[in-house]
Amino acid sequence: MSTTRPASLPIAPAQPAAAGAARPSREGAASKPSTAFRESTYLKHLFGYEILGKPALRLQRWRDEQAIRAYEPKPTDVLSPPLVCVAQMKELMTRHYLEGRYASGVKKVAWVTSGAPAEILKAFGFFLVYPENHAALCGVRRKTEEIATEAENAGFSRDLCSYARTDLGTVLSGKTPVGRLPRPDLLLCCTNICQTVLYWYRNLADLFGVPLVLIDTPFLYGEAQPHQIEYVKRQIEGIIPVAEKVAGKALDEERFESVLQHARDAADLWLEVLNRSQNRPAPMTAFDGFIHMGPIVDLRGDAVTVEYYRRMLKELDARVAQGVGAVKDERYRVLWDNLPIWYRIGGFSKLLAQHGVNVVVSTYTYAWGELAPLIDPAKPLDSMAKVYLHPILNRSPADKLRVMRRMVKEFGLDGVILHSDRSCKPYSLGQIDERELLARELGLPALLLEADHSDPRAWADEQGNARLEAFVEMMEGRG
Amino acid sequence: MSAVAGIGIDAGSTTTKLVAVDGGGAIVAHAIEAAHPRVEDQVARLLDELRARAGAGVGVPSVATGYGRKLVKEVTRQVTEITCHARGVFAALGTPGTLVDIGGQDSKVIRVGADGRAVDFLMNDKCAAGTGRFLENTASRLGVPLDELGPRAIGARGEEAISSTCTVFAESEIISLIAHGAELGSILKGLHRSLIGRIGAMVRGVGLERPLMLSGGVARNVAVRELLGELAGEPVVVPEDPQLMGAYGAAILALESSEGRFQAPTRRE
Amino acid sequence: MSLPEVLPSRAEVIARVKSQGKRLLAVMPIHYPRALLRAYGFHPIELWGPPDAPVAQGARHFQAYTCDIVVKATSFLLSGGADVAEGILVPHTCDALQGMAAVLHDFVHPRQRVLTLYHPRERREADRLYYVDELARLGRDLEELAGKRPSEGEWTEALATETAATTALAELYRDRPRLALGDREFYTLVRSREYLPSEDFIRIASAVQRGAPRAADGVPILLSGIVPEPMSLFDAIHAAGAAVVADDLACGFRRVYEIPERGSALERLAASILDAPADPTRGTPLAERAEELILRMTSTGARGMLVYGVKFCEPELFDLPRLRHYLGEAGFPMTHIEHELVSTLGQQAVTRIEAFVETLQ
Repeated sequence: MSTTRPASLPIAPAQPAAAGAARPSREGAASKPSTAFRESTYLKHLFGYEILGKPALRLQRWRDEQAIRAYEPKPTDVLSPPLVCVAQMKELMTRHYLEGRYASGVKKVAWVTSGAPAEILKAFGFFLVYPENHAALCGVRRKTEEIATEAENAGFSRDLCSYARTDLGTVLSGKTPVGRLPRPDLLLCCTNICQTVLYWYRNLADLFGVPLVLIDTPFLYGEAQPHQIEYVKRQIEGIIPVAEKVAGKALDEERFESVLQHARDAADLWLEVLNRSQNRPAPMTAFDGFIHMGPIVDLRGDAVTVEYYRRMLKELDARVAQGVGAVKDERYRVLWDNLPIWYRIGGFSKLLAQHGVNVVVSTYTYAWGELAPLIDPAKPLDSMAKVYLHPILNRSPADKLRVMRRMVKEFGLDGVILHSDRSCKPYSLGQIDERELLARELGLPALLLEADHSDPRAWADEQGNARLEAFVEMMEGRG
Repeated sequence: MSAVAGIGIDAGSTTTKLVAVDGGGAIVAHAIEAAHPRVEDQVARLLDELRARAGAGVGVPSVATGYGRKLVKEVTRQVTEITCHARGVFAALGTPGTLVDIGGQDSKVIRVGADGRAVDFLMNDKCAAGTGRFLENTASRLGVPLDELGPRAIGARGEEAISSTCTVFAESEIISLIAHGAELGSILKGLHRSLIGRIGAMVRGVGLERPLMLSGGVARNVAVRELLGELAGEPVVVPEDPQLMGAYGAAILALESSEGRFQAPTRRE
Repeated sequence: MSLPEVLPSRAEVIARVKSQGKRLLAVMPIHYPRALLRAYGFHPIELWGPPDAPVAQGARHFQAYTCDIVVKATSFLLSGGADVAEGILVPHTCDALQGMAAVLHDFVHPRQRVLTLYHPRERREADRLYYVDELARLGRDLEELAGKRPSEGEWTEALATETAATTALAELYRDRPRLALGDREFYTLVRSREYLPSEDFIRIASAVQRGAPRAADGVPILLSGIVPEPMSLFDAIHAAGAAVVADDLACGFRRVYEIPERGSALERLAASILDAPADPTRGTPLAERAEELILRMTSTGARGMLVYGVKFCEPELFDLPRLRHYLGEAGFPMTHIEHELVSTLGQQAVTRIEAFVETLQ
């Protein structure tokens, strides 16, 4: 049977691995970054990005939109055609990575963790690289194994987070599906998602020889204490002098405020987008959500991101009004906990849709929306301290369980899939108890699915799919 | 002999099993063979033999399960081994409870509901030494025939602690123990204890509802039965043909689907 | 008398300390302010495993890719091993211990109260200010548990005793070449800090005879890692013809603190941990850690570094490639052996140790 999606989902154009990639000098020892991290020029930036790149991507978006609109649904389709706005999302993300190719030496570049208070750097005009997003992209493109192997050859254990291995592999070999990543001038690392990022960024700081600003966020076993908030606030303030030194200019307060406003507006809209799936049938799947997360993560604080989610919301509302579901014959509604399995998003989506299962909500995509109300552009540093202290991964698992219980009610769920992710311990430890409590208290089929968010070597199709199917059979058995 | 009314095929990772049941759900024929690389051909041959022996007609409903289930095209439906084992053991023992199935690639603990459905299940982690293969590998490394593993472990005077969770580490630990002159039986007992420890964690995870039942080829291992019994605080219940339960459950499901009793919608390909 | 005869067992210590009216606290690795516990009348008994704890009860709560220390300590707690303790202190050493504290606190609900302590991963002014407040918060939790606040006298005694114990440990390391102790004995003594009252440790450590300095009893190496379990590791190193002249063990040299003399009690304790030797779990930058290790190897004559690391330990694993690079440049070979917490040293490890020593000879 045919796959139903006419437009492919990849977010950036395929590129051959950078030529002339440097190899580590000693087996099992990481010595220096690849020579691929060389500087670009203003001229290249002007031609490659402004004059040629941007218009070409605009044209491509127009073609993609036409293709989606022209798609004739087949009776064998189990999924509705993709949202038309996906073409714009693809344009935004590709443009971002394209600009990155020419950013080194032209703009100041910062590599930041997904949960870092990057709004300050954005206000300074830094070009931001999110290595986690890049690693996820490598996962979607099935490039993880090849690139992570570069890090493993340099001595990084396969037991380490696959995002970190992918990023370090790119740093050491220059390999990436997006052409080239720009060399960082500054690193910003926030431990509100894990300690892993700290060890990872210490390696980046050491390899590139650039300053690392750490925002250390005490893990919240309960309510946040005043000294913890104060600590985070002091550290966020501490970003400013370092960024001023690297950027060679002072913080533009007005711009900072507007970046925060955009971040807040986009997060508000993103939350609304996700909540549209409370409708029956749900107009999108959580797998769509994983793909559409790109802008809220990578382009947080940009006006275009606000525009994008406004447009997306409109399209979803139209679907809701017409009663169109993302899964054509939606019979079971399911929650996904933890990061996606990037290299199987399409496969899972289809496999589950064949059984009338729509994964309508995930705790992961919510992480970028649920804290929106805490952002207050009038009190930038205070509100940022609270926001960046409170992501779901920095709160106790009991809190995550509460969120999941609430989602079961609000989204009318029939089952729960907990992805036990080898690469993300803070998200995964606790899931065995969470699964048990959800199954016992709510009487829902609950599946613990062992995999890895981007390393396909931790996944076996036969074993994994059998577990998913058995889970579906359990829901079917309940009628 | 009564007419064949349902056929179940369990294409597992190490063995291929076939069970035929009559209209009352009783087993009228069965076959067990080592898994063939071309499982489709193997199943076709087994079905031919069944037709010749038991006179089963071509239109008899059939269900395939196990890892090779997708390769068996000529069946009515394909169902996972979790559902099939639950159904098979329920049909054989007639009671709900908690079912342990220790397979070659996968170990599973299934809570079987009052109607024979799988209510909840857990399976081993990919890297854990919680599968039958763990015992098989070690047995061959130690030069102990597979069917002697259990008796030698149970007959041991002592017990060595094998606390590695990873198979590679466990092997290394065992070699050290042998080098230090530990008794083979005591090592084997420790090895079984380590496997059952992992299974025990899964049993607690889905909840122990008595009786604790055991299916799969490993059920013939007396040490596994005894140590699991210790864990449950009462003897484990083992069906007569533990290895056939997946195929038997599949046959029962085939029979029920022909009677319209099985509610699950047919899988679309 | 030999060291094993002098050292009381854990059980003896627990019985004695309880009879003295002190309260027991089970403590997970690595860093915590001993003097703070002491001031409130708590005696710490540390849990680094133990290796012989059965895995099943821990495996019931943690995935197979979880560090063995967490799994086995959880098993130990759930099987009643730490029932004598009134609380469990789980310092925030890593994501695995964060998970353990959270699972205990949120889902397992042990009889004992679960206490936590979040260490900052830098040494800026903000980190120091925060850490003092965080220690004060732990103090409030201890106060609730103890039902009392320490008097000034108790604070003075606690600080004096713990400072003396810290010094005694540092002197053991300083006098290492002059001590009549084999590697296994030396580390048995160092690790007695995990359960021995500080006053006992001071007495025993300072009673160890100091003779004339002697050369190492084999190829000198530095041992890195979290915890040398099983302790027969030292026998294997010795049998292979090597001697441990320095270490970078989480249960060893990384806890050779120096308690400064100035500042409030909490400021002094905060500084002692923040300024302790390099430790990836506290966020030491890589080059700084490498420099410290190279200096330690040069000053002790160690020829290579043996990393004996617990499987799945992220903070340790992340540092290895860059350490190998820096140590390699300085002419120090390094080898890495992974282990789980077991009571028998695997044959694989023995072979690797032998091979490593052969390369150093």
